[in-house]
Amino acid sequence: MAPAPSKLYADDVSLLMVLLDTNPLFWTSSYLPFSNFLSHVLSFLNSILLLNQLNQVVVIATGYNHCDYVFDSSLATNQGSENGRMPALCYDLLQKLEEFLVKDEQLHKEGSEKGLASSLLSGSLSMALCCILFYDLDICTASLCLIFRRFFDQGHSIHNPGYVAIMNSIFSAQRSMVPIDSCYIGSNNSAFLQQASYITGGVYLKPQQLDGLFQYLSTVFATDLHSRTFLQLPKSVGVDFRASCFCHKKTIDMGYICSVCLSIFCKHHKKCSTCGSVFGQAQSDNESASNLKR
Amino acid sequence: MPQVKIIAKNFMDMVASLPAMKLDNLYSNAFICEAILRSLPPLAKKYVLQMLCIEAPVSAKSMEEWVLADGSTKHKVAIDRLLQLRLLTENVDRKRETTYRLNPVLQSNLQKLLVCGEVLPREPMPTNVIGKLPSLENLEDFAVEQWECFLLQLINSSQAERPSNISSSTMKVFQRGLLSQREKEAPRLTESGFQFLLMDTNAQLWYIIREYISNSEERGIDPSDLISFLLELSFHVTGEAYNINSLTEVQSSTIKDLADLGLVKLQQGRKESWFIPTKLATNLSMSLTDSSSRKQGFVVVETNFRLYAYSTSKLHCEILRLFARVEYQLPNLIVGAITKESLYNAFENGITADQASCIPWLFYIISFLQQNAHPRVSERIPSVPENVTDQIRLWEADLNRIEMNPAYLYDEFPSREVFESACDFAREWNGLLWEDSKKMRLMVKAEVHTNMREFLRRAKQ
Repeated sequence: MAPAPSKLYADDVSLLMVLLDTNPLFWTSSYLPFSNFLSHVLSFLNSILLLNQLNQVVVIATGYNHCDYVFDSSLATNQGSENGRMPALCYDLLQKLEEFLVKDEQLHKEGSEKGLASSLLSGSLSMALCCILFYDLDICTASLCLIFRRFFDQGHSIHNPGYVAIMNSIFSAQRSMVPIDSCYIGSNNSAFLQQASYITGGVYLKPQQLDGLFQYLSTVFATDLHSRTFLQLPKSVGVDFRASCFCHKKTIDMGYICSVCLSIFCKHHKKCSTCGSVFGQAQSDNESASNLKR
Repeated sequence: MPQVKIIAKNFMDMVASLPAMKLDNLYSNAFICEAILRSLPPLAKKYVLQMLCIEAPVSAKSMEEWVLADGSTKHKVAIDRLLQLRLLTENVDRKRETTYRLNPVLQSNLQKLLVCGEVLPREPMPTNVIGKLPSLENLEDFAVEQWECFLLQLINSSQAERPSNISSSTMKVFQRGLLSQREKEAPRLTESGFQFLLMDTNAQLWYIIREYISNSEERGIDPSDLISFLLELSFHVTGEAYNINSLTEVQSSTIKDLADLGLVKLQQGRKESWFIPTKLATNLSMSLTDSSSRKQGFVVVETNFRLYAYSTSKLHCEILRLFARVEYQLPNLIVGAITKESLYNAFENGITADQASCIPWLFYIISFLQQNAHPRVSERIPSVPENVTDQIRLWEADLNRIEMNPAYLYDEFPSREVFESACDFAREWNGLLWEDSKKMRLMVKAEVHTNMREFLRRAKQ
């Protein structure tokens, strides 16, 4: 209505949720030290905040026993540390992160021996989604950015306990139109993160040169949703769509599906373990009862 | 949208129009780098970020590959903007290949920002020196009050009423172009002044600041100094106090002018004095939409042309008075009516030299009513009844029944053939205004005259 040529420029306001993997088990074995990794990520966060005054960044740390918010740019006090040498963002984030890691360690000790060896993606994902819904999406577009060091892979000896939960949160992200970008640091591709990005229309990236992590992050993940429609971004090739079964958490390409709740099983069961519906007799030839899943 | 005379140009266009030398100097200030980066179109921002760590020149070809095919126009716009602001430098090497490089000064400044994060331009003063700071609401009130006072004076001085607390010299600077100063006559609102009053606050602010900067040279201040200070100002935290002693002489005199407008609040302590930026100042570098800063509306227009404004502000009353007949004023309500007479009164103000420009002008009245619609009616579409907007347009069209065109009359043609070919010629040039084939006379627009004369001379031979 009124002369507002600047209107064009305001559609790149974004809210970015960054999920960091802080699982010490993985980082110790990495050839990219955690401290280096953090400095790349901090620069990345700074660059997001630099691009637009209204941009918001929330960082959620994902440990192996709990996950928590470690930084929220809207709450940032902007007061540097006491000696004034470390900038506010780094100081806030690093301090919170340290507290987080200490608490994570403590929880690990208190907890029983079953200590999970994988990061709690499902928990942090749902936290991030809640946080996005909490913010006003009328004025900005939200995206999730997962930065993970080795994630449990299907076919990996470690079974993933949170498979259903993760898939559910991915689907709810899809429903709320929040793209999940994933940056995966490791040797093999992570089928899980690939699927998450594919389903939600985000970008999956496995950086080749870890020294240039910042360049990868800023080139790919600092793109606002509006610009994505006309920028050349990494495309997903060869996404592994295989699902895991609910009973043994094994990756399968053929299995049984409950007709009521769509749970997946690798073997025939008498009763669905998720919704409790009773299945009929399995037929002698498996093909009619089994469903092909891509 | 029709072309308007006052363009709410933004800050960056102004920066871009600075001479190259000054522009390069500006980039040595990290805050300006940041503000300029933020003002860029999204794609251009992206490019800067992408090239931030690349020291070597990047070829234009490889940059084109960054975008998809349907984004090529956006790509061009982005590159043009970057070149215009001298953020990118273009180089054509021996093989005729174009390469781009990021401005090295800007590059190192932005790199520093990325590593260190945002820093404040100056440290706020400790609270023990100042005592109690005004609350954010108080500050907001102060800014609004000061701004309204300025606008009121703009209206009132045209009616020569009361003087205000703004010093007359600065007022003159701000008012330039908005009020016409004829000798021996009370200053009157000009057409652009009228449009100005109906704009939203952000656009008004831009207009004023732009005038302020472009007039700075006459006052012996370097425009680039002023720009860099104003941009820097926008990075201060709203509601914090900053010591005036940390400013240069030029800056502190600027601060005083800005305080008159309500951009900053000046306060004096026992020993030192300080300034507190208000929201107006911190919004300065933002290329924000008006929707995000939209205040609650207050106007209800009924289908019977009556107008109810729920407002206590004197300014609102004065603005309404510009185009409506105010009937009565209650403590929180202004009742008026839009009549033909009241509108003509307004049109008289608006119609000056340029006849064609009164269309956008009318557009300003309607958009003012729509933008300030009371929340109860703003949900309705349209928020201003259609019959009212249509009638305003009709009344306005009434005034434009006559169109003036400088023209030339041709008569006494030697033969009918010549006359007809002359008519055809004029039609071809889109310049035929009137023809009378009986008496063999025709009228053409003045701009076609030379061509027409040439044509007739050739026809004679």
